[in-house]
Amino acid sequence: MIKISNLHAYYGTIEALKGINMEIRKGQITCLIGSNGAGKSTLLKSISGACNRSGSIMYKDNADISNLSPQKVARLGITHVPEGRHVFPGLTVKENLEVGTINWHGFFGRKPYQKEMEEVFALFPRLKERENQLSWSLSGGEQQMLAIGRALMSHPEVLLLDEPSMGLAPLVIAELFEKIVEINKEWGLTILLVEQNAKLAMKTADYTYVLERGNITVEGPSAEVRSNDMVIKSYLGKFANTK
Amino acid sequence: MSPSLFLSLLVNGVAMGMVYALLGMGLILLVRAVGILNFAQGDLMMFGAYICACLLLDFELPLYLLIPIAFIWFALLGVIFMFTIYWPLRKATYSQATIIATMGASIILQEVAKIIWGSQPRSMPHLVLNSEGDPAVLQIGSASLQWQYLIIIAVGALIIFLITQLFEKLYVGKMMQAACQDSYAANLLGVPSILTICATYIIVAIVCGICGYLVAPVFMVRSTLGTLQLRAFAGVVIGGFGSIKGAVIGCLLVGIVESFSTMAFSGYKDVTVFLLLIIFLVFRPTGLFKGKIGDKA
Ligand SMILES: Nc1ncnc2c1ncn2[C@@H]1O[C@H](COP(=O)(O)OP(=O)(O)OP(=O)(O)O)[C@@H](O)[C@H]1O
Ligand SMILES: [Mg+2]
Repeated sequence: MIKISNLHAYYGTIEALKGINMEIRKGQITCLIGSNGAGKSTLLKSISGACNRSGSIMYKDNADISNLSPQKVARLGITHVPEGRHVFPGLTVKENLEVGTINWHGFFGRKPYQKEMEEVFALFPRLKERENQLSWSLSGGEQQMLAIGRALMSHPEVLLLDEPSMGLAPLVIAELFEKIVEINKEWGLTILLVEQNAKLAMKTADYTYVLERGNITVEGPSAEVRSNDMVIKSYLGKFANTK
Repeated sequence: MSPSLFLSLLVNGVAMGMVYALLGMGLILLVRAVGILNFAQGDLMMFGAYICACLLLDFELPLYLLIPIAFIWFALLGVIFMFTIYWPLRKATYSQATIIATMGASIILQEVAKIIWGSQPRSMPHLVLNSEGDPAVLQIGSASLQWQYLIIIAVGALIIFLITQLFEKLYVGKMMQAACQDSYAANLLGVPSILTICATYIIVAIVCGICGYLVAPVFMVRSTLGTLQLRAFAGVVIGGFGSIKGAVIGCLLVGIVESFSTMAFSGYKDVTVFLLLIIFLVFRPTGLFKGKIGDKA
């Protein structure tokens, strides 16, 4: 679906990604793990066009998207759910979802988006209950659901999720990951998942990449990566094999 | 104080308050959209007044032509303002750069107006004239109210209503709000921020221009007209600096206080406005209203 080769990203003179090669396969959940500051968010931003990058990013039938602006990338069907949720605080839940439609609706369009909204509400009934509440007052978990729901409104084919579990309680995380699997399996979306919670991420994902200081160091089917010695030592800890 | 005097002072105060409210609303819209306090707000109004004076006195356009042509010029002024004052500096390493640029813009607008139209103040006729060509008045009992003030109140209220509807009800308005509240997330979803920012500047310039047209008959068209913005700043701070509702109410309060203080001590009306501001800053620094985005600890 997306094939990245020799991708570099820069913040001023700092090189945050140093030649990344990776592939996100259609219909799969691909996960990206790595410690703080490894460049995970930067990689997502490079795909969605939110930072300076060079190299090649091929999307679908060989269209290079590595020099497109975020708006253009969003219009192609790649939607980035940024780290830290970023809901629009002064808009209600419903209005936040409406903003998600901009990439196919257009400023002055008249296309209805009722159906999309009902589908999102069916996936996250908790949002339906709070549809007229201003989103700054939602709980962290609800805000994350809203951020994902808003992305789903944009008719995406690929979803880039940046640390959806950040700051959430274990029960809420479990519920959220069920939904992510549902989005992948039932809705048929391709997902690139960035996670700190390596164990959970690798359990959920089909394929795993490990990113360290701007380089991919380990990659493979999740089950394989999970038994890699280096990964066990640095990301899973000594309780890796306990359930 | 006689009831008729009270009524006419009230009408004057609300009318001037309405002008400050329109300027103040524009200030809030810009602060939300680009995070910058515009110190050339009053000068956009001044320039708008000159444009109207030029179309009305020099080209002698009738009202039905004057309005659309003036709107086009106001919009153009907004676009030029955005691309010269805001756009080149949007990525400046410290955001004060843009604020200082707006102060510079204020001086430039005044000087350009003087170069084009000369430094003599121009007088504009009131919108409603009686048969002798003098400003028409509405007689209520023994109070005589100038139609110009009543029109300012009506037009101001209408504009405030239309703009709040635009932002609250229309799809475009919600996109603009989203871009203001979190431009990063809005960009990722595909909201074209350049368009929403440009639209905000156009709206603000048009509102300022309309203000200029409305106050021109009262104050004459002169390059110092922009100093009225200080009252709008005071009103916005009193209102709480977050919501349009707060800005409007704060500015109306400033207008009314100013009007009644001319009665008691006419030489000191500026003093009373800023005394009111200081009282608010001391006893209620958060202003009358909080913004609708709360703090979630
Ligand atoms: N806006 C920025 N300006 C300068 N440097 C940045 C910026 N954003 C990130 N960096 C740097 O780029 C590197 C990678 O950052 P990135 O945010 O991609 O890490 P991450 O893997 O997402 O970390 P985390 O797990 O903490 O989210 C870091 O060294 C960081 O300091
Ligand atoms: Mg990150």
